[in-house]
Amino acid sequence: MKRLSLFLLALLVSGCSAGVTASAPRDPGAITIGFSAEPANFDFTRTDGTAIPQALLYNVYEGLVKLDENGQVKPLLAESWTVSPDRLSYEFSLRPNVVFSNGSPFTADTVKFSIDRVKTAWGISQKSKMDVVSRVEPLSPTTVRVVLSRPSNNWLFDMTTRVGAMFSPDGVADLPNDPIGTGPYDVASRNRGASITLKTNPRYWGPKPAFETVYLRYFKDSTALNNALLSNGIDVVSAVAAPDSMPQFENDTRFNVTQGITNGEVVLSFNGRKAPLNDVRVRRAITQGIDRRVLLDTAWAGRGELIGSMVPRTDPWYTDLTGVNAYNPEGAKKLLAEAGQQNLNLRLRIPNLPYAVTSAQVVKSELNKIGVGVSIEPLDFPAVWLKSVFTEHDFDMSIIQHVEPRDITTFGNTKYYWGYDSPKVRQLLADADRGSQEQQVAAMREVAATLANDAAACWLFLFPNLIAAKKKVGGLPLNQISEAFDLTLLRRAGS
Amino acid sequence: MVVQILRRALIFVVSALVASAAVFGLLAVLPGDPAQVALGVSATPELLAKTRQEFGIDRPLATQYFEWIGGIFSGDFGNSYVTREPIGPQLIDRLGVTMWLVGAGMLVALLIALPAGVFAAVRHRRASGSVISGLSQLGVAVPGFVAAIILVQIFAVDLRWLPAGGWTPPIIDPLDFLSGLILPALSLGLVQGAVLTRYVRSSVIDVLREDYLRTARAKGLTPYRALLRHGLRNASVPVVTVLGLQLATLLIGAVVIERVFVIPGLGSMLLDAVSNRDLLTVQGIVLVLVLAVLLVNFVVDVLYTVLNPRLRQAS
Amino acid sequence: MRRSSSPSLWVGLGLVGLVVVMALMSFLWTPHDPTLVDAAQRLRGPGTDYLFGTDKFGRDLFSQVMVGARTTLFVGVVAVGVAALIGTPLGVFAAMAPKWLGELVMRVNDLVLAFPALLLAIVLGAVFGADTLTAMIAIGVASVPSFARIARSATLGVMSTEYVLAARSAGRTKTAIAVRHVLPNIAGLVIVQSSVSFAIAVLSEAALSFLGFGTRPPTPSWGRMLQESQELLAVEPRLALVPGVAIALAVLGFNLLGDGLRDRYDPRLEVRG
Repeated sequence: MKRLSLFLLALLVSGCSAGVTASAPRDPGAITIGFSAEPANFDFTRTDGTAIPQALLYNVYEGLVKLDENGQVKPLLAESWTVSPDRLSYEFSLRPNVVFSNGSPFTADTVKFSIDRVKTAWGISQKSKMDVVSRVEPLSPTTVRVVLSRPSNNWLFDMTTRVGAMFSPDGVADLPNDPIGTGPYDVASRNRGASITLKTNPRYWGPKPAFETVYLRYFKDSTALNNALLSNGIDVVSAVAAPDSMPQFENDTRFNVTQGITNGEVVLSFNGRKAPLNDVRVRRAITQGIDRRVLLDTAWAGRGELIGSMVPRTDPWYTDLTGVNAYNPEGAKKLLAEAGQQNLNLRLRIPNLPYAVTSAQVVKSELNKIGVGVSIEPLDFPAVWLKSVFTEHDFDMSIIQHVEPRDITTFGNTKYYWGYDSPKVRQLLADADRGSQEQQVAAMREVAATLANDAAACWLFLFPNLIAAKKKVGGLPLNQISEAFDLTLLRRAGS
Repeated sequence: MVVQILRRALIFVVSALVASAAVFGLLAVLPGDPAQVALGVSATPELLAKTRQEFGIDRPLATQYFEWIGGIFSGDFGNSYVTREPIGPQLIDRLGVTMWLVGAGMLVALLIALPAGVFAAVRHRRASGSVISGLSQLGVAVPGFVAAIILVQIFAVDLRWLPAGGWTPPIIDPLDFLSGLILPALSLGLVQGAVLTRYVRSSVIDVLREDYLRTARAKGLTPYRALLRHGLRNASVPVVTVLGLQLATLLIGAVVIERVFVIPGLGSMLLDAVSNRDLLTVQGIVLVLVLAVLLVNFVVDVLYTVLNPRLRQAS
Repeated sequence: MRRSSSPSLWVGLGLVGLVVVMALMSFLWTPHDPTLVDAAQRLRGPGTDYLFGTDKFGRDLFSQVMVGARTTLFVGVVAVGVAALIGTPLGVFAAMAPKWLGELVMRVNDLVLAFPALLLAIVLGAVFGADTLTAMIAIGVASVPSFARIARSATLGVMSTEYVLAARSAGRTKTAIAVRHVLPNIAGLVIVQSSVSFAIAVLSEAALSFLGFGTRPPTPSWGRMLQESQELLAVEPRLALVPGVAIALAVLGFNLLGDGLRDRYDPRLEVRG
């Protein structure tokens, strides 16, 4: 009986503590931002997915360098760096007097600890991005040299992502719950299923951020997220995931709306490992059979950009490839006939996410017109989709937004779920990584063109960055191309 | 009567145990390797094996079951595969939220059903009574989530009187708590209120036909007074039964409503856990929901025994 | 005490008939292809060409409602069929079997009652991949207990009638009695329960499709139409109104039909269920 009454008491009290959501509008120093994907925990070294870096990178954790909204690598914890002529060693001069939120100093030794730790302790696939590092040498407390085993243009860029985050040796004991970084904010509390509260880190080296307290609130449902802003429950919708609802914000004087780009390519991926999609003619036919303008207009309200390959406009090697394998239903039918695939039935196994579910219905309708049958199977995301499509390659086609920066390199990985194997592309990617900047751009252009021509996948559209915010919030990033939602950019409007 | 209640209690305990085995068995066949999900797509086989061991999912199912069920007796639901945190405390947290929601929904339902049902019963031969009956028929036919969508659009988005969603615990800010509770409670309560109205009406009609009530009315009492003095206890027997069933319906209805209103209760926890294949958490939530329904049924049975004069005499 | 029985029966029949006719007709003809995406016809208002207008894919709403009726009825028929075919014999068996066995059956039955359709469907959907089939089975299994309960109590009543007692003393087997005397006598109640369960099935299917645990796109389903309409609620409330009204009318129809049949079958029982 005692246990029961204790339990009941716990219930009542906890009903009181669960999901403390912000009533931010009353606190002038606070801002509430709505997101859709909630971090499962705070440990992006062992838990995959975009939600954790979105909340923590640049805000709680910082790296030596960061990516700005135009795709440029900019100094962060490193004030400057030099690259040796053979482009094998990078010497960083570190920002002095930086401390972690637990008081430990940030030094060259910490850099060594953090980079080495990626190889030893990280569990996610991105850890392979540090494989190219051969050693890290602290030269003085504020100078560190990183030596690569081969020249790599990608490495410095990758240092702007989560794998470049700096950890304190005495701050990694409880990463899932207690993240400790050098950033402007510190995690104050979290309420699973609802929100995370960030407060300014008093030990932060840089200028104080515009907002003292930031509530990150999570809404699985895109309509609920919109409604929260419409009913003054939050201040910013970080990414409007229901594009047809944008006029609601645009026609309301309370809000500012921005529309930029992300680096999320929404891709209709083909399983190139097995018939019939190992046949380039079938892949081209399907690509030519889908009017991507119609798809973008209906599925995503015309918001977003058409891309002909795996390159967003912000990458230096972007060229317009939308003309390659352009919409041509007659040509598509001819290609199918040539390949002897007139009675094609394909399984379109998609994650149960809004953009995939809507796009899939257009894809099906379009492909039916060229005589290709499609059965749509929504799978629980992430778990089931990752297992059966991504890992076990049990699919013909899928639709997923590839959000990692510069993920065009995945076409060089023959084990990746596309099952795309082109020695030419692999060679070009390797050349690009090793070569000078000019060589890199030239080689990457050719990679993009080859992929488009091969119809290695069908690029449906580039996901737009749609932000709706109260007029009081300024500094909203136009483009969202890093892994982070950079809170340091936010300003109070008019200041 | 005591024997009756003890018998019911025994049935409850046995049912609960069988239910726990059923829940465990059903979810043991869930596809998707929790270790794989936690580690991402290109985890090494060694790391996978290590994590499986860490999760304890490399052992025989029977061992896993008994350890799970043994832990639950001490409030330990195991550690989540995704968050790696204990599930128990979070479950209690979320259950607390859902209970507020269900309680408020039930309150709304009763506030609608009791007056409307009694009124419709007393006037069941007149037009006004029929109007109430008709309205309740309509109310039963509207799904709770449709009511929710409409209410949000009107009161949150258009009028901006109430929040569109979210949850503020009562301790943090009682006013925010209440204003956030109104729309979800209405969405849950309106439909259930309509269902309940029909039961209240029919059981009150039954009571009105009883001889003692006719006698009371013949003595000059108004129908309402006669009911209040003599009939309510009898009319309450079937209503309590239905109320119990409704409570179970509300608990499950809350799953959908929590989704619409982004309330961090058991329902949204369940949907999240399912899409993350957080097997152990799903297991825990389903068990708690099923146990709650069984418990409600047990309490209803006991109340039924206590309230029903015929059964009381029989024992 | 027959007063309002006829109107609810006829209104119920009318509404159910409407849904059935729409569903049947959709096999032969719909005004437009309900799954054909047409960017040029996007978000058209109601008119002569498109009776209820089009959705954001340019698909005809009326055609979707017609085919959605098919989905709804299909789910209902299978779910209620499963429930009636399992629940009724189970209830009859529980009534006619030795007391302890009957009691055991009803306890198990009560246990199933603790797994509501929605919960069962979410778990089943997680195990086997959510689609119409898992939704139907879950709703069906969850409806078994109510059939078993009705069948049992009705059978107990029939078993104490004189003609059954006579049949038993004449040496008829239990199976023969069940088939000859019990089933025909409880059929009315089972039909009433079917109508009520059908209404619940329609509601459950809608809720499941709304949550993404039901019918897969692009097969039209009223619940998913509602879910897809949400983001446009402020701009195009018609998109939510049409499937919402369709669900409500179907549920209303089956409930009224159940009430009407009950009144006809047993005026004393009236609204109960």
